[in-house]
Amino acid sequence: MTVPIFELPDELRLSLITKQFPCREPQIRALATLLNPSSAPCRNLVVYGTEATGKSAITTALLASLDGDSFKHAIVNSIECITARHLYETVVGKVAAAVEWEAVVPRCESVSQLTVELSKMLRYTERPDGFRFVLVFDGIDHQREAPHTLLPALARLSEIIPSLTTLFILTSPPPNNLLTTFTPNLHFPTYTKPEFITILSLSPPPPITPSTTPTETLDLYTRFLSALYDSLSRPASRTLPSLTQASRTLWPKFIQPILARTHTVKEFSKLIVLARVHFQDESLLDPTLSLSPPTTTTTTPNPTIKTTDLATLLPTTARFLLLSAYLASHNPTKSDLTLFSTFHHGRKRRRGGFTGGRARKNGSQHRKIARKLLGAHAFVLERMLAIFMAVRTEWDPASGGRIKNGIVEGEQGLDNDIYMSIATLASLRLLVKVGGGGDVTDLGGKWRVAVGWEVVRGLGRSVGVEVEEWLVE
Amino acid sequence: MSEFDDTSLFHEDDHRVAYIFTAPPTTTAATNTSPTTTTKSAPVRPAKRRRVLEKDTAAPLPAQEKDDDEGRQWPRLFNGLESPSAADLRKKTYESAWPVLESEIESVLRDANRQTLEEVVEFLNSDVHECEGRGRVPAGFIITGPNIAGQDLLFSQLGDVLAERGEGRVREGMGGQEGGGWEDGRGGRRYLDYDLEALRVEMEGRGGVVVAFQDSEAFDTGLVGELVGLFHSWQDRIQFSVLFGIATSVELFQARLLKATARQLYGAQFDVVQANAVLESVIMAAVAGTKAQLRIGPGLLRKLVRRQQEQVAGVGAFISSLKYAYMNHFYANPLSALLVDGQKLDKEILQPEHLEAVRMLESFKSHVEQSVEDGRLDHARLLLENDDYLKGRINRLAAKRQQYLGKLLQSLALVIATEHSKRSFVELYEAALEEGISLDQSPGPFDLGDAIKRSTPEELIGLIKRVMTVVVDGNPSLHWNGMGIGQDAEAAIDKFEALRADVERLIETSKKKKTSLKSKYSSQSRVLRTTVVAQKVQLSRDTATLTEEDNAFTAAIDDFFAFFKTLVGCEPLSNLFLNEVWQYDYHLPYEDVFVPRPGATFARALSRPHDYLGCACCDKANGSMVGTLPATSILYHLYSEAGASINVADLWAAYYALVGEDSEIGMDERSALVLFYRGLAEMRAMGFVKQSKKKADHITKLKWL
Repeated sequence: MTVPIFELPDELRLSLITKQFPCREPQIRALATLLNPSSAPCRNLVVYGTEATGKSAITTALLASLDGDSFKHAIVNSIECITARHLYETVVGKVAAAVEWEAVVPRCESVSQLTVELSKMLRYTERPDGFRFVLVFDGIDHQREAPHTLLPALARLSEIIPSLTTLFILTSPPPNNLLTTFTPNLHFPTYTKPEFITILSLSPPPPITPSTTPTETLDLYTRFLSALYDSLSRPASRTLPSLTQASRTLWPKFIQPILARTHTVKEFSKLIVLARVHFQDESLLDPTLSLSPPTTTTTTPNPTIKTTDLATLLPTTARFLLLSAYLASHNPTKSDLTLFSTFHHGRKRRRGGFTGGRARKNGSQHRKIARKLLGAHAFVLERMLAIFMAVRTEWDPASGGRIKNGIVEGEQGLDNDIYMSIATLASLRLLVKVGGGGDVTDLGGKWRVAVGWEVVRGLGRSVGVEVEEWLVE
Repeated sequence: MSEFDDTSLFHEDDHRVAYIFTAPPTTTAATNTSPTTTTKSAPVRPAKRRRVLEKDTAAPLPAQEKDDDEGRQWPRLFNGLESPSAADLRKKTYESAWPVLESEIESVLRDANRQTLEEVVEFLNSDVHECEGRGRVPAGFIITGPNIAGQDLLFSQLGDVLAERGEGRVREGMGGQEGGGWEDGRGGRRYLDYDLEALRVEMEGRGGVVVAFQDSEAFDTGLVGELVGLFHSWQDRIQFSVLFGIATSVELFQARLLKATARQLYGAQFDVVQANAVLESVIMAAVAGTKAQLRIGPGLLRKLVRRQQEQVAGVGAFISSLKYAYMNHFYANPLSALLVDGQKLDKEILQPEHLEAVRMLESFKSHVEQSVEDGRLDHARLLLENDDYLKGRINRLAAKRQQYLGKLLQSLALVIATEHSKRSFVELYEAALEEGISLDQSPGPFDLGDAIKRSTPEELIGLIKRVMTVVVDGNPSLHWNGMGIGQDAEAAIDKFEALRADVERLIETSKKKKTSLKSKYSSQSRVLRTTVVAQKVQLSRDTATLTEEDNAFTAAIDDFFAFFKTLVGCEPLSNLFLNEVWQYDYHLPYEDVFVPRPGATFARALSRPHDYLGCACCDKANGSMVGTLPATSILYHLYSEAGASINVADLWAAYYALVGEDSEIGMDERSALVLFYRGLAEMRAMGFVKQSKKKADHITKLKWL
């Protein structure tokens, strides 16, 4: 019996997978054709597309459906492989498991050894006619410690072993794609709006109230999804999981008026108006380390949300130090005298007092970027301490020290507790030492503050300081 | 020789604040000869120069005597006259006193963590399955506060709890520990050390894996991200849960993570009881409680608490300060030997020196003076002259101390039980030690009279009930067991029972009469009355008429308060006879050790060296610059007047003008120059100046603060 040269993939199998992964039919068909031994099997295949477009899932499902006596596959996920050697070992282990290799597999430390081992298993062993093995490298572009010859070497494997198909799953196509011998590429584009809606409306939420029919719910849900896509997904995020997450979070808020019986299911536009605030809230897309979303509060132990604010956690001195560090990071050095010296200026010119300094004679030869746009600057530790000493008496009158004989007496001196507070802040990564080397206590060391404006403002208010007043810009 | 070295480790001069260096004539000889001696006696380890010098210069008495003692012995005080048994006794007392407190503090800290641990374990148990469908890694974020040292205890407890529940092993992630040494995979293949496949085979059919990151701020965030990604990709085969100990806040932690990583985590936040809250229970158990042998005086306690609130994160510093106070007291105060129970304190321990020291005490003096004023002349004379009489009094010390503590804690517990005091326990305790407890003093920390008197009948009944519980059961966090079974306790309970019955009866009667029961103290009793007579408004202040029951209730309140006053009250600690034996209130040693100020110390020593040298030549200097000061000191004075970079030639000129031939000192140029160079070298060694890079003949000022 002769094997036909070309045969289309089995429709029945394909339809199952197409049902499982809606809106991906062209890709599934192409992939099946390129992998099926009886259709147009290729040696190397690159599948690429951004995240959450169904590359790995579809490949896995398709390969599983094709599996048989004369077709085997193995999938290696690069994220799980910590080193390149780990990758080789995993490949050998998985291939051996897939072809039910009996003998002991030796260690495999390099690509050449990998080639030898794979040849042993796949090339020099009796296999049924038309046997094909598909080796999938998932996320191979994220492989850690990969030598730069890894990808070409892996692509050569199928030249050495004729019955092997190597499939690479990547995020973007290799840059020199067109320079090399032809490798089929299969692109998984992101879903479009209708596709998103189709996919998400396949799993509609349960009916809102007992009186609403599932059709009504589905109808409302579809329109809701469309609005959601337009408001959130198009400008900010296009992945399926984030949209799913957003719809899961927003839906209960959206149908709140219906549950409260103020509106009916039909009044879509009124509902949209009511829920407009939520639709504008882009924090929904921002993946937070979600602390028990509302859907799960019933089962989780209710996490006690107390005010474990940073402001209440730090001791007072550490708070003052952090504020001083923020000021040192965000004020230019030249304004220090204006701000902190009470000798010449008093406090009059503080807020925005430093207006430009001397007039620029040469005009704007080179424009400067506004300082605040540049983020936190590095500062010398001594400057921060000087600022701290300068503002301490004003911020914290309780620390009443007095200067006697040129020596600061009382509570105010630079004692070890201050260095300890600096060490605490550094170990909490709130203050970061810039540049390696040097001791922590080295006054000449450079530091940078690592907290943002919001945190600092809260911190300032907790000790009764409006940080704004002390910033030049 | 080495034995000698060991014994002379402790020596009175070690604890002196300042040394006056008088170069002994043998010094040069000793330094010169030391190399030769070592070469001669080759097998002996090289002699330490400092010890050798001490041997030559100072041969203290105790060193000689202690040759036959063990090395671990505490030094004998009273200039070495203290008997070994007394020194031993101090050591033993310390060794029995501190561990009790230490375990007490640890149990308090453990208790504080318990609630959090239960929540975490519950989260790990319940949420894992629920999360599985979502394909995220369950993550517990334990907010521990900036007290990183405290995380150790928490995580070790967590390990214990999880091990108890058969949750498998907790590996405290310290990076790169993934995968143990499991060999023997399928087909005899060895897994790589870091292959999680090995873990999967090992964990087959068992629960999940919990990976705890203690002090997650210290981790490289890239590493955390990769680990989470790894766990996430294995999540369908091995159930991973992660725990992060976070010192700041989840938001800051998240800001450091990649968004992709954050999306793979699914978490809950757990809070640990914060240090400030723990501090109060630690103080209750370890400072105020009955188990504390030594009373920390109010001054030191206030300092400790204040430092805790303002400077330090975590109770660790407080505990070590407390330990240091104990160590100091028993190590350096010979009278701490008197702290043992009266029976044990036999007369042999009490030396004449002890008695002499007792007679020097402030409290002894004031006691004697008081006795003289009261006309108890015999008593005063006996105390001063008769040793046996004084010993008798000393032996009664323990009983008196117990009595005082009982009264103090009883008063405090009762005051807390009224729930009328707005101050925290620590403040109350401090005030009680410092000023004593007196309910009459107004305004004062124990000013409860008005609040109690104003209470309504129902409040009064509640108050009586609370007070009775305290009288019977005591206060467990103070380890005070109540008034016990004695006449006093029974009398108190009877009295309170009677009062409560009275008040309840009064409430009943007034209910029947449908009037509200009030006392003359309650504010409603005074009414401002307006009467309109002939279009004129008259204001009159009326005392509302009190019914019979109201009067009875007023009497009951008065009665209660009067009796309450008999139960509550104590003297200030410093009024007690011989309180120095069991009170420690010195903050200087504590500050020197825990809050040193190297900068200020240097500055002071350099600007006023004559305070330390005690030399006659600089008597009138008083902090100003005179030529007789040491060269370094003069240079320091000049230095503090100079700007950021100093011209060395100018400095020399200024220096020479002060000490040179034209001045009073009249030093010739060569010697002045030598001293100048030496001073400058010393300044550089101390880190005050360095060579300027910009100008060749300048030095840069380094110390500004």
